[in-house]
Amino acid sequence: MKVKIKQWNAVAQWRWDTGNKDAADDEEGDVCGICRVPFEGCCPSCRVPGDDCPLIWGECSHVFHMHCLLKWIGTAASKQQCPMDRRPWATAERRVDNAPPPTT
Amino acid sequence: MARNGLRYQVATKWQDSFRRFNQREPGISGLIAFSQAWDVATEFLKPRNINEPLPPRQYTQAVRAALDVIHKSKRLPTLIETFLSQVESLFYLIQQEVDQFMIEYTADLDVGIISKMVYRVHEWMKEWTPATELGAAFQSVYINFFQTHLFSILPESFSSAFKDLIASTLAPEEEGEALKQDHQIWSTFDALGFIDRFESLIASVGYEHIERHVLETCTGQWGEPMLTPTRDWMTAKIVPWMIHVYGRNITSTEEARAMLAGVGSRFDFHMAKTLCDLRTREIFDIIIDFPDSEGALKDLKECLQRVDQRAALVQSLRQAHRKRLLHPGADTKLILSQYVATIKCLRIVDPPGVLLFKVADPIRRYLRDRPDTIRSIVANLVGDDDSGDALVDETEPPRPLQAAEIEDYSDPNWEPEPIDAGPDFRANKPSDIISTLVSIYDSKDFFVKELQILLAQRLLAAGDDQSDKVEKERRNIEILKIRFGEAALQVCEVMLKDMTDSKRIDQHIQSQQASVIHPAIISKHFWPALESSEILMPGQLKELQDQYTAEFTKFKPDKRLRWLTHLGTVDVELEFEDRVVEALVSPLEAAVIELFSEQSEWTLDDIAKRVGLSQPNILSKAVNTWLDLGVLASAGEGIYRVLEVSAGKGAEAKDHVHRPTTVEVEMPPVVSVQQQQAEQMRVYWKFIEGMLTNLGALPLDRIQTMLKFAPGYDRTITQLAGFMEAARREDLVTVRDGMWKLNK
Repeated sequence: MKVKIKQWNAVAQWRWDTGNKDAADDEEGDVCGICRVPFEGCCPSCRVPGDDCPLIWGECSHVFHMHCLLKWIGTAASKQQCPMDRRPWATAERRVDNAPPPTT
Repeated sequence: MARNGLRYQVATKWQDSFRRFNQREPGISGLIAFSQAWDVATEFLKPRNINEPLPPRQYTQAVRAALDVIHKSKRLPTLIETFLSQVESLFYLIQQEVDQFMIEYTADLDVGIISKMVYRVHEWMKEWTPATELGAAFQSVYINFFQTHLFSILPESFSSAFKDLIASTLAPEEEGEALKQDHQIWSTFDALGFIDRFESLIASVGYEHIERHVLETCTGQWGEPMLTPTRDWMTAKIVPWMIHVYGRNITSTEEARAMLAGVGSRFDFHMAKTLCDLRTREIFDIIIDFPDSEGALKDLKECLQRVDQRAALVQSLRQAHRKRLLHPGADTKLILSQYVATIKCLRIVDPPGVLLFKVADPIRRYLRDRPDTIRSIVANLVGDDDSGDALVDETEPPRPLQAAEIEDYSDPNWEPEPIDAGPDFRANKPSDIISTLVSIYDSKDFFVKELQILLAQRLLAAGDDQSDKVEKERRNIEILKIRFGEAALQVCEVMLKDMTDSKRIDQHIQSQQASVIHPAIISKHFWPALESSEILMPGQLKELQDQYTAEFTKFKPDKRLRWLTHLGTVDVELEFEDRVVEALVSPLEAAVIELFSEQSEWTLDDIAKRVGLSQPNILSKAVNTWLDLGVLASAGEGIYRVLEVSAGKGAEAKDHVHRPTTVEVEMPPVVSVQQQQAEQMRVYWKFIEGMLTNLGALPLDRIQTMLKFAPGYDRTITQLAGFMEAARREDLVTVRDGMWKLNK
């Protein structure tokens, strides 16, 4: 018997590749350290998740919603530091071969 | 001394009387003249048996003289008395005849006999009537006396017989002749004093006649208002009859009007009451028939203004609902549509909504307890109704949900609440049906949640031609946004966007590397909790997934895909030595058959191991699908084998060839609201367990208070009670005197 798949309407979830391999199969994804909303959700000022509310990676390995972090950096109190470890914030150049996520 | 005085007085009286009788004639000649006159008068007046041939009475000169004499002697009252006692002594004649008539009537039940009897009695009465020359007083005393005696001899059965006779005068007959007859019999009744005596009886005949007519013509006739035709009928039939009964002395139109205002309005009231009672009894079915029963509702409205039966209507409707609607046998959809119809109907009957408020309360309470009410309402909202019979009027423009308004006392058109409104009556401004339905629940969040689940099911069940369906859902959501507000439905918006994004991503990936797999890529947190299951896809299915994942990662480098393998559909084509079978199956079923392409015989346990599925019942269901399709055959306990050559059914099996078989695709297993809540509650079990371990037995409200410290705990005490009860059923806790304790 030969089985030929003609069409498969599947369902999948997307998640951010936060580089955290352990968390990959975890039921509950990680949450943004600033707004406490899961990365796959969206930051409080956004309504649509995903490409419209991307993440930002710091060189300190911490990840936030981009909007959350930019807002934080924008405040004087932040002193341009990562809110988690107080090191000066530097956005990581993840994957040089990829442009930042296209905005749609 | 006193004795002498007395004697003197008696003697004087005697002299006086004697002188009067004697008419101051000499000797006793006066006395003799009086006694002659007495004889003449009594002879003249004497009641006679009309069965015997008699000469007509003549009011001669002699009689007149005699009466004069008696009158002068002031003996007229005695004469009347004598006459009356004579009448009395002859009354047995009438009684005999009456008895005879009654016996005949009892045998025949012919009202003609009664009318004959009435005429006969009247003849007796006329025969005995003293001549008019004796004065009106004499006659009226006689009539009174006669009537009294007549009533006393009438047997008990007469009243019912008389009723039948009256009823016959109301029965439809030919006009002219009957009327004349009627006139005659009514004047006879009047002469005999029956009309006054039996007034209530006659009226009751009229009432009964009206009742019968209303019941005959109006029962089940809901299409048109029946009140006006019935009133017309009253004018044509009842009013002429009423004039016989009550209008015999009427001479002017003024009097006629006064009579109609009194008696007529009594009859009209009775008619309205009868109709009202009838409609009250029928109200449940009238509501079912709505809008074809609008006429009946208008009738009811008018009748209720005339007759105060509102409480009865409420009671009857509530009872009907309890008996016919609010029981486990009734479908929720049915209850809802009946509720909506009730709203519409009672708005016609009673615009202020007091009746509705009273009637709706039990329905609303009942619906609140039903688990699938929200689902039914939401299904109806999005037009997912099998019956296609939407609760909502399509023509009604969607409006935002209305919150209960606070009364505006500065409103110049303000009206006080109706008099029978209860203390908790809230003036229900005529809001639209959906607002009313949604207001069954305290919060609209339930609806949004349920809507989300329903939308998820529909989106994930959508087949190849998704874009149409997604468009349709989008339209639905847009309409619902008007009702529930933009923010509440944001989640649904994201779900729809996921679908269109998936399509775009898929197009891109297909252009890079064509694949037969077309996934819907969803944003986890915006979809209702989907049951997770870890099916491991074997063979080429796994390859397909991996290829697609790789392409996806190339396209969206910082995202990964996580397959929800138990959702979706697979269109497979199986090639055998002798046939080709096509089928649309679930991924699990596809996985099973894929395994059989690796080797032709598997045990159920081995399959379970390969697909990583622990629930044997789900698996055997998947295997059964293939058994039904004649692809697999059982080869012993838990062992299955591929039927490379179809099982000897020859022609039958050939039929299967090339015919795509569609396996019924079930709704994706989306976790229901209740399950979700229970699942969320489970998080708090650790807290509860901890506090019961540390503090021993605790009452429920104490647990609730302490749980409030837990982050994100927003359950009510009722929900907690439900959860604790569930825990008790699982033997985790015990309860005693309201104290909950861990079960050790």
